[in-house]
Amino acid sequence: MADIRIAQAAPAAPAAGRGAAPANAPPPGSGRGPAHTGPVPALEFITRIAQRSGAPTRPILTLDRVVAGNVTSDVTGIACMALATFDGLKAAAAAGRNLVIVLEDTWWSDNDDLQRLEGNSTYKAKRAFIHDHNLVVARFGDHIADMKPNPIAMGMAQQLGWEAYAADKANPVRFNIPPTNLLALTQSLSRTLGSRTLRAVGDPRLPVSKVGVIWGNANQLPSINLLNSDIDTLLVGYTHEWEAVMYAQDQVAVGMKKSLISLGQAAGEQAGMKYFATWLKGIIDEVPVDYVPLVEPYWNLNQPTNLVSTRI
Amino acid sequence: MEGKHATGLSRRSILAAGAAGAGLAAAGTPALAATLTAGEILDRMKQNVGGPWRDGGVDHFTVGGPETVVLGVSTVMMCTFDALKDSLKAGCNMVISHEPTYWSHPDRLDDIREDPLYKIKLDYVTRNNMAVYHCHDHWHGLRPIDGIHVGEAAQLGWTQYMHKDNPRFYTLPSMTLLDMAKHIQSTLDVRTMRIVGDPAMTVSKMYASYGNFGGITGASILDGPDCDVMVIGEAQDWDLPMYVQDTMTAGNKKAFIMIGHDKSEQWGMKYFAEWLSGFVKEIPCKFVPIIEPYWNPEKPVMEINTKI
Repeated sequence: MADIRIAQAAPAAPAAGRGAAPANAPPPGSGRGPAHTGPVPALEFITRIAQRSGAPTRPILTLDRVVAGNVTSDVTGIACMALATFDGLKAAAAAGRNLVIVLEDTWWSDNDDLQRLEGNSTYKAKRAFIHDHNLVVARFGDHIADMKPNPIAMGMAQQLGWEAYAADKANPVRFNIPPTNLLALTQSLSRTLGSRTLRAVGDPRLPVSKVGVIWGNANQLPSINLLNSDIDTLLVGYTHEWEAVMYAQDQVAVGMKKSLISLGQAAGEQAGMKYFATWLKGIIDEVPVDYVPLVEPYWNLNQPTNLVSTRI
Repeated sequence: MEGKHATGLSRRSILAAGAAGAGLAAAGTPALAATLTAGEILDRMKQNVGGPWRDGGVDHFTVGGPETVVLGVSTVMMCTFDALKDSLKAGCNMVISHEPTYWSHPDRLDDIREDPLYKIKLDYVTRNNMAVYHCHDHWHGLRPIDGIHVGEAAQLGWTQYMHKDNPRFYTLPSMTLLDMAKHIQSTLDVRTMRIVGDPAMTVSKMYASYGNFGGITGASILDGPDCDVMVIGEAQDWDLPMYVQDTMTAGNKKAFIMIGHDKSEQWGMKYFAEWLSGFVKEIPCKFVPIIEPYWNPEKPVMEINTKI
């Protein structure tokens, strides 16, 4: 059974004309299924996704839960995105997709901690937007990480056009790409993944063909172990500068032919949600399902332009 | 605040210099100057830091120990391999580093004792009779102002704009976010800084948290009236930077500059060398800048020295 922790959902703003508590929703798997016609409440889709993902239950350590909204709301469409940014929610609402399936957080912390956000004006504005547009935000990062094949790995490989180069096609995390150099690879990644501010460590002229990846956040030891394996470069979404970034720099400083590319968290995983949206269409045909790409929040002095929308 | 600090420092400096001079005269031989140990330097730091020297935390010798005889001291932001090489080149076999030597905040060794790079680094420092002291917590604890903040403000040329009651807040002459970013990029010598916000926005109320910063503390400060631009070293994309993006979308005029961890703190280590020179007079105390690890595809560079 799914371990989406509905009981811990963020306290939804009072929903006009609807039961505010999940208890009013039909129990999971209670008869309504793909066959029925008529509106489907969010809880039913959320339960179906959790069950059909095939991901084993993580009874204790999961961040997956309904993060905001009222799960009895009828779903008009589903939007899949990497982080539930305000911009992303706006795009979902504008497209008429009120169930948002998200890989990462909504409330700006690892575990969507609401403890100190009570009086925060941005929290209030985002909550009000979610309420006003009848959005339901469900975090599914742990389920998605446990799916086989891993949608993030598959989607990123597809986006890069690297499927054929994967050492293991069912788990594409190492690639033997056509020989290039580090600079050319960063230029190509910047275009393909839409990352304006990606950063690289190492000799720009370094010949590169063996690529290891840790999409999203890369922890210290897995990154170090991968850098020590037979790869020329390591691609990550984000990793601490005082850990793997420093390690890669030190490898270069002792003459090892190594490099690291930090893509940015969204650029380094969001194409996986495109793949996930395609998978979702296979189990949900009652409503439209879309992938919502996020804008890159950062700019640098090479290209000083803001892409973030500045009005609700 | 700054002035008072400088006065206190110079008074202590005179005392320290006097004591050292007397010691040398009594012993009657200048050769003794070469027997200054890392432990003696650490003892003087403890006396001058202005606050309590606490156990625990991450400050410790990551290489060598108090008995190491020191010929020169370098202060660096992070004890990268490059920093070790450049320190030796500068005649310094004791390195005081704000950040780790072994790629984790507490310099945890449990998982890397068999690591090939660890072995090479350990061999290099041992062969060269080096000592490395990780001085993170106590440099942030310098009284009356965090040493990193003193040095970064000086490098930015913005010391006079620091608030007296809280040196993390600045009231700057109004400027656009773009101009502020250009000023920071040039004064702190940074290549790969990233910015969130409208480049044309006017900013003047700055909150600085050099180094790693994030989470709801940052969100609360940005939500307040005293900060229109937050300047930090490093954060995880999915917490504070995402919050800034969202607060912009909520209609708030806020901005955010992420310098990169190294350049956001290393000028604080330049100040460390100046501070140290005030009470370690027998041997050279030198600031050694480290190499910014990153480049962007628009401006590729190779600064890392690949020769051991």
